[in-house]
Parts: sequence; C-alpha cells; structure tokens
Amino acid sequence: MHSDPTDLIHRAQQGDRAAFEALYRAHAGRVYALCLRLTADAAQAEERTQDAFVRAWERLATYRGESAFSSWLYRLTVNEVLLGRRAERRREQRVVTTADPAALERPRGADPTSGRALDLERAVAALPPGAREVFVLHDVEGYRHQEIAALAGIAVGTSKAQLFRARRLLREALNR
Amino acid sequence: MTYPHMDAQLNEYMDGTLAARDRASVEAHLAECAGCRTAVAELRALVAGAAALPKTIEPGRDLWATIETQIRQRATWNVQRFWRGALAAAAMLVLAVGIYRLFRVPRSDFRVGEGQGWAVQADFDRASDELSRILAVERERLRPETVALLERNLAVIDSAIAQSRAVLARDPASAELRRFFAAAARQKVELLRWAARVAAS
Repeated sequence: MHSDPTDLIHRAQQGDRAAFEALYRAHAGRVYALCLRLTADAAQAEERTQDAFVRAWERLATYRGESAFSSWLYRLTVNEVLLGRRAERRREQRVVTTADPAALERPRGADPTSGRALDLERAVAALPPGAREVFVLHDVEGYRHQEIAALAGIAVGTSKAQLFRARRLLREALNR
Repeated sequence: MTYPHMDAQLNEYMDGTLAARDRASVEAHLAECAGCRTAVAELRALVAGAAALPKTIEPGRDLWATIETQIRQRATWNVQRFWRGALAAAAMLVLAVGIYRLFRVPRSDFRVGEGQGWAVQADFDRASDELSRILAVERERLRPETVALLERNLAVIDSAIAQSRAVLARDPASAELRRFFAAAARQKVELLRWAARVAAS
C-alpha cells in the first residue's frame, strides 16, 4: 500500500516510528548510494546511512516543507558524511592507519548497467577523498560549487580545483 | 596532447561557466588544437557518464533494525537529559534569586541582610553542587582540553569565592564584600552554565 509522503512526514514528525520506517524504505537506496560514493567503503556507507536517518529523526521537527523532503534528507546526509570524515581525519592525525588497497575494488553492492559505468564507479572510488567528494556532489548529484563549498567548509575555488583534479585523474584512469 | 595550463579553462568551458570573451578565446584555441578537442570530448563523456550513474544502490543488508534501536535509545536518553536540564534550570533559578536577594538588601536593614547573606551562601552552595553534579554526568561529552580549561577557571573562581567568604565571615555587614561574593558567584554560574550548554550541544 502506498502512503502519501506528506502524511508520512507529518506522522513521523508526531513520533510515529512506522511512518518513519516507510520514509526509510522509500529513501534508503538513494541515501546509501550517496554515502557509498562519498566514502568509497561499504561498511562506512552503512554506518553513515544509519547516522543520517537517526539524525533525520531527531531533526524532523525542523523540516517545514520549504524544499522537497528528499532534498532535505540528502543534504542532511551529505552533512553527516562530511562531518564524519572531518572527525575521522582528526582521529587519523592521532592514530597512524594503513592504506586500504581493497578500496579500489569498491563500491560493493553497486549494480551499474554497463562495464563502462562499473569502470567509472571503481575509478571514482579510487580518487583521493577531497576530489572524490566534490566530483560526486557536482557531477553525480548536481550540486553547485557554492553549495559544495558551504557543505564541505571549503572555498569555492578549492571546490573547483578539486573537481578539475578529479576529472583529470578519472580521464587518466579510464584511458589506461 | 593537452596543455596543462588549459585544464581549468577547458573544464570551465565545458561547464558553461566561462565569460563570453574567454569562451570565444577557448573556442578559437579548440579550432586549432586536436588534443584539446579530444580533452573536451572526454570531459563531456565523463560528466555524462557520472550523471547517468544509478541514483539508487540498495544496502547489502536491512539497516532499519539498527536505526530503530538507536532512535529508541535516543528517546530514553533525551528524557534523561530533559530532567537533567530541568534540574539545572532549577539550580540556576536558586542562584539567580539568591544573588538578587543579596543585592536587594536595604542598607538600613543590615541585621536581616546579614542573615540573608548566610542563607544566600547556603543556597549558592546547594545550587552550585547541583550544577557541578549535572556537569560531572555530562563532562565526558566535552573535549579534554575544554575540561582542562574549565577546571583551571573554576579553580580560580572557587578561590575568589573562598576568600570573599572568609572576609565576609569577619565583616558580614559589608555591602561591598557581599557584592564581591555575588560577582564571584555569578562568574561561577556563568561558567557552569556555559559548560553545561557546550556539553549538551
């Protein structure tokens, strides 16, 4: 049975967990895809997806319907992922970690329609984190540089430089 | 081949973000440079491929059970925090009323003022203990450097309160000393309130 999204949102705002579960079911795939491409790691993507929905539940009262619920949720997800990465970077500065060569084989669970898309997914996953985030947000998700700069806490010029770097690295990888 | 100095311009050209004059300049260059034409074609294909990637990827397992557990835990935790917040607010009110009473003692009524002074100090102790207890529960949410800074500042203020208390004991009728005590008490209140707010954020 399909429920009216507005009604689901309203009921979830009143504390109805079943309504929120329906919203989760409707948006989990999109949120997970975003998290997976931003993190290039399936385990982290699952964790960030959970974090994003828990945060969305906590902040549901602040959603006033000015934008589409999906846009609100995906923006909140991007925030969660980028904040998580900043916290991780701080941890990494204290703890030495080893490189993760398996990341090149990720993302797992992706089901692209062609070999070319699979190559592109793998090449995106292998990008340096900063370049990958900007590429995913700009070229896959359609965010503007101003929005990316605000979300990532970087300058617009840095966002552009990371995008151009990502595209150069991807062209090199795909031409090999 | 492409020219490295053209990289940004070719990207901006493809994104349609170049000014008209720069766009014309890049188009003139492209008319003569096969390498840059290839680069632009590759960029277009790359961007089209990225936009066409599937927007939905289902997680390998159902994440709802974990999300629901976390939501339930947060709900319990929020209730606990509400009561802690309510207790903190009550403690703040006791302190605020106490400090107000200290300042409002009329000069002609020093006997009553002296008695009130001790009552205010007792109120302050109780409320301050309550706020400190609440902060002790929340302090693990503060960063270690913030805790260190908080403790250093509390030590300074506590020392000022102890000194003013000792002097007040010898001269309980002194309005100036009572003001000094109230100022130190207010500083402690502000600091505890700030720390509780940071811990809760």
